[in-house]
Amino acid sequence: MTNVLPSAETVVVISAFALIYMLVLLKKTLQGKFDLYDFLMLSMVAIIPAGFTLFPGLAYLVSHLTGVVFPFVVMFGALFLVVFAFMHNMTARLHKLERQNCALIQEQSLLALELKTKDSGQPGG
Amino acid sequence: MADMGMVGSGLGSTDTCHDGAAAPQHGASRVLLIIPCFNEEASIGGLLGEIAATGCGYHTLVVDDGSSDTTAAVAGCRSRVARLAQNLGIGGAVQTGIKYAARQDFDFCIQIDGDGQHDPRAIETLLNAYRKQPSNITIGSRFIDHAGFCSTRMRRAGIRLIVLALNGLFSGGGRITDPTSGMRLMDRAAIEFFAKAYPTDFPEPISLAWAMRAGLTVNEVPVEMRARETGVSSIDGLKSASYMIRVLGYILLARLVRSP
Repeated sequence: MTNVLPSAETVVVISAFALIYMLVLLKKTLQGKFDLYDFLMLSMVAIIPAGFTLFPGLAYLVSHLTGVVFPFVVMFGALFLVVFAFMHNMTARLHKLERQNCALIQEQSLLALELKTKDSGQPGG
Repeated sequence: MADMGMVGSGLGSTDTCHDGAAAPQHGASRVLLIIPCFNEEASIGGLLGEIAATGCGYHTLVVDDGSSDTTAAVAGCRSRVARLAQNLGIGGAVQTGIKYAARQDFDFCIQIDGDGQHDPRAIETLLNAYRKQPSNITIGSRFIDHAGFCSTRMRRAGIRLIVLALNGLFSGGGRITDPTSGMRLMDRAAIEFFAKAYPTDFPEPISLAWAMRAGLTVNEVPVEMRARETGVSSIDGLKSASYMIRVLGYILLARLVRSP
């Protein structure tokens, strides 16, 4: 397959998107809405297409090495990999938070009961 | 709020206790009834009245699982109430009671539903069964004598599948016939085990799987259950099929992993 280089318009559009998107991510990270891990993983949405556009030779090399005919398939494959890695980590974190939230609510209710029992002067149990 | 001493239903006594409030006995075991409730204002008062009428002086803890009605207020007149700030589901509510039992050094806790399905007179049956054959968990089963309300045909078929999975994959003493029963006695070992980890999804069957995997023993005793006094079951229609598939998946998972 003949290597087709991206047009100047494609490079400009992808680069502009990457720049703006990264700036938005950076702003939210500085505001504390994302941590560094979130920033790195989410920024891949900009970095991977930008890498494939700015370095087309690399895209063809990777597609050749992986035996994939079209470089954009490799690009989307890489993006899916990042998304799934991010989802995997996020799911684990959500479950951990869920367990902690449950334990916290239980502790709060038991402490409130203990205080109420002490206030009423009754023995525990 | 009534405070109750040691109960005659404890294992220090072999007498039933229908003759008024039992006097505290030396060496008697402490039994806590855990009653998880979610919007059960219509039934919880009657249930607590029935428990008091047994004359056994059981300790009771109503766990109000984020009810939006007056469940806590109604229950608070006759029992201790732990109010959860938000709904955690039956697993989270029951574990709250188990943690309380663990911290207050109860010897046994017995879970019964707040919707009036379980006859409090059957509590003594569970304790007697423990006296005869001590097991870490004693389940009140609807399907040994097939007396009283035995659920719908569809759900019974589903329960049979869960039974097959549990009995086939785990060995914890006797064969289980009613893994979804919400009436069960837990001894000190089971209390300590479940205070650390208790399943939040499908807690009744999955807790049995976890317990048997950990080497705890399970026994069953026939009890008669009643149809719900109020409210509707949350597992009906297509949800039953989804429930079944997920429960079987969790049971298989429990077999494959080492610890909860």
